[in-house]
Amino acid sequence: MSDLGLRIGTPDVRLAGPIAFGPAGILFLADNGAAAIHAIDVRDPGPVAGSEPFDLESLDARLASFLGCDVTDVAVKDMAVHPSSHHVYLSVQRGRGDARQAVLVRIDRLTGAIADVSLTDVPCAKVVLTDAPDLDDERLDIVLPMGDEGEELTFGERTVRVVRQPIRMSTVTDMAYVDGVLLVAGLSNEEFSSKLRRIPFPFGDAVADNNLEIFHVSHGKWETAAPIRTFVPYDDGRSILASYTCTPVVHVPLVDAEPGTKTIGRTVAELGSMNQPLDMVSFRQGGDEYVLVANTSHGLLKLAGKDIDGQPGLIEPTAPIGVPRERQELEGIIRLDNLNGEHVLALQRDDAGRLHLRSLKTASL
Amino acid sequence: MIELAWSRLGNDDCLRARGLAPATVDLEVFPAAVLHATRAVALPPMAGRTVVDGDDVCFVPRFAFVPGTAYRARVGGHDVGAAVRPEVAADRSTEVVAIHPSVPVVPRNLLRLYVQFSAPMAEGDAAQHVALVDEEGAPMVASLLRMDEELWDASRQRLTVLLDPARIKRGLVSHAAAGYPLRLGAAFRVVVGEGFRDARGVALRAGAERRYLVGDDERRRVDPAAWQITPPAVATQAPVRVVFDRPLDHGLATRCLRVVDADGRRVAGAVRLAPDARSWELEPTQTWRAGRHAVEVDATLEDLAGNSVARVFDRALADADDDRRRPGDRALPFLL
Repeated sequence: MSDLGLRIGTPDVRLAGPIAFGPAGILFLADNGAAAIHAIDVRDPGPVAGSEPFDLESLDARLASFLGCDVTDVAVKDMAVHPSSHHVYLSVQRGRGDARQAVLVRIDRLTGAIADVSLTDVPCAKVVLTDAPDLDDERLDIVLPMGDEGEELTFGERTVRVVRQPIRMSTVTDMAYVDGVLLVAGLSNEEFSSKLRRIPFPFGDAVADNNLEIFHVSHGKWETAAPIRTFVPYDDGRSILASYTCTPVVHVPLVDAEPGTKTIGRTVAELGSMNQPLDMVSFRQGGDEYVLVANTSHGLLKLAGKDIDGQPGLIEPTAPIGVPRERQELEGIIRLDNLNGEHVLALQRDDAGRLHLRSLKTASL
Repeated sequence: MIELAWSRLGNDDCLRARGLAPATVDLEVFPAAVLHATRAVALPPMAGRTVVDGDDVCFVPRFAFVPGTAYRARVGGHDVGAAVRPEVAADRSTEVVAIHPSVPVVPRNLLRLYVQFSAPMAEGDAAQHVALVDEEGAPMVASLLRMDEELWDASRQRLTVLLDPARIKRGLVSHAAAGYPLRLGAAFRVVVGEGFRDARGVALRAGAERRYLVGDDERRRVDPAAWQITPPAVATQAPVRVVFDRPLDHGLATRCLRVVDADGRRVAGAVRLAPDARSWELEPTQTWRAGRHAVEVDATLEDLAGNSVARVFDRALADADDDRRRPGDRALPFLL
């Protein structure tokens, strides 16, 4: 673990946020309270899994029972599938107010058993996010240059608490790991603006920031302020597909994106207004790449990579709407991840508000 | 007869069972309401450990018992009793101390509201407890932007509430379909429900509301050149006062202005924003020295409609003059 920069420590996680798996079973966990991202070796005990589906009814009741609280005191913030064991990890907030507690939960995909992943004395590392600061601005009293590894590691005792600077700290909306780099989409709290960060892992090297400019079809304008809500690596990590509220889907190349520059995204689809994308996943079907987008209002939509690749950038207001999309007959999908080559795992909220885990067969999507 | 009691085991809270068969180790505890509502699946018991303590069996939870919650104990799958964790006695002392803007008339394209509380609040319930209602008290549906992450300041005492920008920006589908969240010439109220819980989980002492009239749209960039500066006298600690041409965003105006001296050094002092956010002053900690000074304006400063020094929030695409790439003058000099 030493070559990945992890040290034994106890991550002080205030707010459970987005999670994503990195190399060697390391889980990235974003804490939007402290504007930090922890890398945690979850020491997953499972054997290498095959391609079986995994379904679990009444996930929220199971979690509430395990956590000893009411169902309304359980908030599932994000979901990630371990790349080899296929156990399901959930970033969960238990309780409210001062009693609020971030819990990392593991669900055994063979038995459905629930366990909490210990965050005490585990191999871990931390990076703290700050917006590009004016150095003479006294409001930025957190002098923590990106990549200062010594400041960012957590050792046996608790680390120094990083107080959130509400203006300058971004919250994390989504993360993904690709080839030594953690991609982080963030929402700046008060300015209503966003950035895509590329954080090298192991933590320590300089973070590359890119401001994004996209054409927002339903807004009818070029947009630099709207936040990415969710994204997925695409084309073997050479680019990402990102979704924004109201709901452009944008192809953003990463390969030629020089740090600190503005990257112009290519808007490939407009999925509809009055809608927020919740999660995305890419999968293969018959050798071709496809993307699923889960939405608040427009259900679960499937887009084809070949359509995306051939789609000229949308630069006209309101129409056309870009690549064809196919609405799946599945409602209430709020989170997605790849379970295995044959299944996508979906977190579904039913009409009664109950949560369930569903395996979606990729061949049938 | 099994007796259940809230107790301690060493430093830990526990649920103590008395009267079980000796050395019972399979005591399981469940939140009673979850157990009652979920009969179709076998629920996992609450995380924790069972410890035999003399004649008693203690369940020490992995996660703290929740006040006011009923727990059911089972041994070997059979109910052996239930106990309700006592509520924490707490006064309803938290209240809303301000709702911003603090002016009676707001532009129709108002972007942002702030609710200031007297103590740290619980997160996650804002959408349920903050609403806009019209004169008749009817809720104004979909007027506020729903977000996964609520916008709180570091102390969790100030909540930022955004009106749905997609309904404010002209030319958007949401705007075309549903129109502005606010109606020109009409009144509305921002209502904060007393059920909003503070960080202790206790409801507010009382709800709060503020009434506004809706005035004309504001679509001009914030222009510091239109402000008036009242310079203080040299060798005094009188405040320098800046009067704006319109009310500005309360949250941003508090932090986006500063005063520098001829060498560009920041003048330290106490900053006050007028309650109506139409003026701002800085009272220096040291006396003023003669020479050039300037009020510097951060480009992110916005008015009530989200127009900043750098750009208009809802820019008219056809209007060449309306270009966000031409920020106005951002330093206002004054001579002492």
